[in-house]
Amino acid sequence: MTVELFRDFWWLMFPVFGMVMAILGMVRDHDYQSQIIRQAREKLERK
Amino acid sequence: MTFEELFTGYWWLMFPVFGMFIALIGMFQAESRSRQVMNLIKSYVDQGKEPPPELLKMAQERSDYNMDVGLPTPRSSGLWSFFVFLALAAGFGVGYWWIRAEEWSFAFLIVAVTMGVLAIGSLIIALVQRNRP
Repeated sequence: MTVELFRDFWWLMFPVFGMVMAILGMVRDHDYQSQIIRQAREKLERK
Repeated sequence: MTFEELFTGYWWLMFPVFGMFIALIGMFQAESRSRQVMNLIKSYVDQGKEPPPELLKMAQERSDYNMDVGLPTPRSSGLWSFFVFLALAAGFGVGYWWIRAEEWSFAFLIVAVTMGVLAIGSLIIALVQRNRP
């Protein structure tokens, strides 16, 4: 059953990999933007 | 109904569900980020200070999840989108041709037709943009 399922749908690993990369990219992008906002806020409060 | 039967019948649903999930999350994130950036810039201006260039750049950037209706801003994006959608339509079209005997081959055909329509739309946008002053 598991072997048959894998044989029929092995190619799904490529789009699933793309989805994982998309999620990772979105998280990294969000972290970078949060960092910029945090630094700007700190700079504003420091001055 | 076993998991195998369920998966075999509805595996293609993962793509639209993933697309909807990413679109929703992205839209909420973009909206929250825009509000935070604008509030920060306002605070800087209120205090008579120059906002950091990274912050201004973030405010100018167009979000990937922007729901504005209109033509894309960069002049080459329409043509670029045309080629991307054309390649996707061709890929899914060939995929459909290979597995057309399968019961679930319609999923490939739907995606190929959708990408083809998007390619035509992108080409029209690119041509309209080219004729604009």
